[in-house]
This record gives sequence, C-alpha cells and structure tokens, in this order.
Amino acid sequence: MTASQTEPAPHSKSRFSTVLPYLLVAPPILMVFGLIFFPALQSTLRTLTDAETGAFSLARYEMFFADKTSVTSLIFTIQIALESLLGLFVICFPLALYLRFNTSRIATGVQMISLLPMFVPGIMSAYALIRFVRGRGLFETLIYQVSPLLADAYYSPYVKPEGIVIGLIWEAIPFTVLILLAGLRQLDNGLIESAQDIGANRWYIFTRIILPLMRRSILIAFCLNFISMFGAYTIPYLLGPAAPQTMGVLMQRTLQDYQQPLEAETQAVITFLICSLVGLVYVQSVSGERVRKG
Amino acid sequence: MRLSKWIVRAIVLGLMLALGVVGVHAQEKSVINLYSSGDTNITDWFQNVVIPAFEAEYPQYTVQFTNSRAAGDEPIIDRAIAALTSGDDPMVEVMDIDPRGFASSIEAGLWYEPTVEDIPNLADVIDAATRLTPLAAAYRGSQVLIAYNSEMIAEEDIPATFAELLEWIKANPGQFVYCRPDKGGSGGNFVRRAVYEVSGKDPSVWTPEFDQSLADKYFPEAMALLQDIHSSIYDNGAYPAGNNPVLELFASGEVSMISAWSDQAIQGINRGFLPETTKILQFSDLPMPGGYTHLAIPKNAANLKGAQDFVNWMLSPAGQSLVVEVIGGFPAISWDMLSPELQERFNSVITDNVPTWPGGDYNPLLTKAWYETVATNIDPNS
Repeated sequence: MTASQTEPAPHSKSRFSTVLPYLLVAPPILMVFGLIFFPALQSTLRTLTDAETGAFSLARYEMFFADKTSVTSLIFTIQIALESLLGLFVICFPLALYLRFNTSRIATGVQMISLLPMFVPGIMSAYALIRFVRGRGLFETLIYQVSPLLADAYYSPYVKPEGIVIGLIWEAIPFTVLILLAGLRQLDNGLIESAQDIGANRWYIFTRIILPLMRRSILIAFCLNFISMFGAYTIPYLLGPAAPQTMGVLMQRTLQDYQQPLEAETQAVITFLICSLVGLVYVQSVSGERVRKG
Repeated sequence: MRLSKWIVRAIVLGLMLALGVVGVHAQEKSVINLYSSGDTNITDWFQNVVIPAFEAEYPQYTVQFTNSRAAGDEPIIDRAIAALTSGDDPMVEVMDIDPRGFASSIEAGLWYEPTVEDIPNLADVIDAATRLTPLAAAYRGSQVLIAYNSEMIAEEDIPATFAELLEWIKANPGQFVYCRPDKGGSGGNFVRRAVYEVSGKDPSVWTPEFDQSLADKYFPEAMALLQDIHSSIYDNGAYPAGNNPVLELFASGEVSMISAWSDQAIQGINRGFLPETTKILQFSDLPMPGGYTHLAIPKNAANLKGAQDFVNWMLSPAGQSLVVEVIGGFPAISWDMLSPELQERFNSVITDNVPTWPGGDYNPLLTKAWYETVATNIDPNS
C-alpha cells in the first residue's frame, strides 16, 4: 500500500462529489429560469419595444404613467404594503419578544395561536374576516353586547383600504413571528444579562442590543412580506374598495374585464420590477452576511 | 379432487365474466367533460341534480364535471384552442359559458354551431334566447330584480320605476347596495339599466353590433346618474366584489334593498338564507336586463355526439323543469311547455320581457367608465 496506489480513488470520488451538488441544484435552477426569469425577461423586453417596428420604445410606460387609475393604483399598493408592514411589526415584535423571553405554558399556547393563520387558506380567512369586521358582523355584535353606543360608532373596514391592511397583517403574522423569533433565539442571553448587570434598562437593551443584532431578521421579514403584500390578490380583491385598487386586482381587471393584455403586461412588469428591487435588497443582505461570516 | 376442479373452473369463469362486464361497461360509457365557473348555486345544481338526472336517462354517458370558478374558463379555452391546432383531445365537451366573452376563441373558430339536426330540442328554444349568438345554445335565463325587506320599508315607499328607486336611494342613504359591475351580473345589469334609462328606455337601441357613438353618447349620462347616488350607497359608496357579498349584506340586515339575480333571490328565500320578509319587485316601466346562459361545445370535442346529447337533454322539458324548480331560473323554452303546477308556482317571475344587454365590446367600456367615474366619484368632465 503506497500513497500512489490510493491516489486515483479519492481523486475520482472528489470529481464526482464536485459535480453532484450542481447536478442536484440544476433542476430547480432550470425551473426558476425557465418558468420565471425567462418569461419575465421576455415580458420586460416586450414592454420596451414597439410592437410594429421592434424598435426601443417607452410608449407603454408613458401610457401607464399618464393614466390616472394605474398611477393611483401603484401609489395605493405601495401605501398599503408599507402600512401593513408597519402594523405587522408593531404586532409581531412585542409578540416575538414575549415568546422569546417567556417560557410559561401560556407562551406556548400564544405561539400556537399566532401560527394559526398559516394553516388557514387565504380565501377562507378573507371570508372569515368579512363576516367578522363588516357592519353587523361578529365584531360589531360583540361590541353591541358591551355598549350599544360604542357599536353605533363602529367603523367597518370592509370594502375599505383598512380592510386590506387588516387582512394582509393577519395573513403575515405567523411567518413574521417565526422569522423574528428565530433571530431572537440566536441572541446570546449573556449579552443581555451583562447589560442588565451594569444597570441598562429594558428600553436601552432593546434599542442598543436587540435591535442591532436583529437587523438581518428584520430585513428578511420586511423584504419577503413586502413582496407578498405588494402582489397580493385575494385579500385586496375581497376586502378592499372598488377604487382605488391594488396592482394585483388592477392587473386582473385590465386583462379580463378590459381585455387589454398589453396594458396588463406593463402593469405586471412594473410590479415585478418593484418586487425584484426589494428582492435584491434581501439577497444582498443574506449573501452579505454569508461573506462576512466567511 | 373433482370438487376443487369445479371450484377452480367456477372462479375462472366468474373472473372472466367480471372482466367481460367491466370491459363492456368501460367501452359503453363515454365521458362528457363539463366545465362551469358559475356561482355555487349553479355548480351545485350541475353536480347534484342535472348530471345524475342526465346519466339516469342516458346510461351510456358519464359526465365528468369540473368547477372552473377558481382558475377561470380562460385556461380551459386556451387549451382547447391549442388542441385545435395540434389535433389533440381538448379534454372538454361542454362549457357553461358565452363564447362572445372570449374573443380569441372566436378568432380561432373554436366553437361548434348547434343545429336543429344535431340537437332537435333546439327548435323549441324561444326567440329571445336564440337570437344572441349562433355559437352556443342558450339553456337558462335569469333577470336582475330588486329585492327588499318588507319589514324595513313601508309599502307606500316602495319604488316602482328606476327613477323612483334613485329617489328612494337618495332619501335613504346607506340602505341600498349593488355590486361592482364586472364582479357580478346583479351589479352589471343595474349599471346597464341606468344606460337604458338615459337612452329612452328602449333596449332595441343596443344591438350586438358595436357602435362607439352610442357609447360616447349615453355612457357618460348613465354614469352621472350613478354618481348622483354614489354617496348614498351602503357605507358611503362601498361596492362589494360580487353577487353573494351583496346578498350577505342584505341577509344580515345591513341594507334593506339590493339588486339581485332572480334565481339567487328566489333560492335564498326558499332556503331561508334571506329573511322571510324578503320581497322581490321588477320595475314597471322597463325591467332590469337579464340574460341567457349558454352551453358551448368546442368543435374538436372528442365526444361531440355526447355533448350534443347532453345539450339536447338540457333543452327538453325535463331538463328545463330542473332550471325552474331547483335554481329559480327562467327556461329557454316557452313556459307553456312546462307543467301547469310549475307555471302556477312561478307566476310572480314569469315574464316575456327580458331586455338583453348585447355585451361584447360595450362591456369593457362600461366597466371602465364605472370604475373611473362612479367608484372614484370623479367627474368625467373635470
């Protein structure tokens, strides 16, 4: 047994093992390219060319931005997504902190409840929310039991922008809690304890220790939720107003009701571009972290 | 020994028989693929009433029903068009659609034109139903009407005409609602009734031949009528996204008057989903439009004969009785052909006046005008 005899075996093995991972990731990558990137690129190029001459043209974008309805929809969608995200963090941050630092039985129950929306299909939660929040719905009836005067003042968010925000927040809670909780679980208890030892108060610990270390989790939750909220359809369609509408609903209406596939494509490409910008931020934050970790 | 031999023979024989029966059975039953994206009342009706009754009469067919409400009819039609060029089986025999809503399918020449030779019962279909399109067979009608809660509205306040309804809405803000015109016909036909109102209450003005000048002339006026009542609509102008959400608002007592499909309202009352005090009315000057629903057959359907037999049965008095009895729809054949009891029972909705909106190119324009001026309440002239 000499070294030269054993050499070929590990060599061929290592060649196979270098190729294997690429083989394994090839199908999903091909699929993503074939089903998403390629059609998206095609669409994007099509929106940038004149259908007749084939020359470069911004005419379709000029049309989009000259049309009051589509611009209103775009702004409305961004607003809805940002408002929903704000509400989402206001609800999920305290919830995640509570679940991280509390180990009681109640906390386990709360965690289970907070994950519940994940298991309810979107269309069902939309109808459930309608029945809950609309005028004379369950919520108003409950308020009425407490005080009829309060029920008179009840403002139903159904078929209003607020309806969309409530629906989107409800749908996104489980995912966000999971991401934030995962980030919080990575925090070293020692850091917090030593800060407490030298007299730091809770607010100080939260803003100076927890928040900075949570940067990445927050960014992930922000980006992924923004993308899904921006392109949401079921909730804005069923809970939102007839005007203005979000991009998802507008696209569907443009394509099916107005039978204007070109305009719908332009709307889709603009939506896609905005979402991919946010996606880029996400990819950078994730891969940046990896490089730093080396 | 002898006995066991006989047992083996018996088993073999039994197996052969069983196989034979299954084989013959499988050969005999030919499949009819039926697609519908209708509301739940319609898809339930197909699955639980129509198909069992048809299969009982025609045991040689099996109807394979697919509810296409979620995905829409477009993908099915696109597949059939693709199959037309490639010569494949489109996997669809009958669709519960009006081909006129799918321009690409008409361009591709996808649809078989039903004839009396293939579908004898077509001869009994009334004129109002047949004149709409030659590309499909009209098989049931319904009409939009006004439903109101008689407990909440005094008899003398009940509007009799469209103009009176508009007055009533303004006098009772928040009590009336109709849905977005493109999301449900109960809202769509309410909007179209406003178009009739400003075009001399004469539906004959609106023929299937699209005329841009008519749209330019009358749509803005109709929109102005609807804008005028916008802020008096439920919750300061909140329009739900479909027929059912409107019915639910009415059922909960949130509003006391709505525009609704005749079939959905009648069924709702019968099933106790709508309050017992629900009453329905139709305008005395000009009823609200309704429409006929069609069964369309792609000409490349693998089981063309089965599709024709299905449509033919649907148009028979037996099939048409199910339309009236179960879903409260209007028959496509004359009421006289149905049983006297049925005619008696549905006396209140029997009408020969069902103005039919031509649809086609008018629809996108009207929907757009509504979204951009009424829903936003932006004056088109500003």
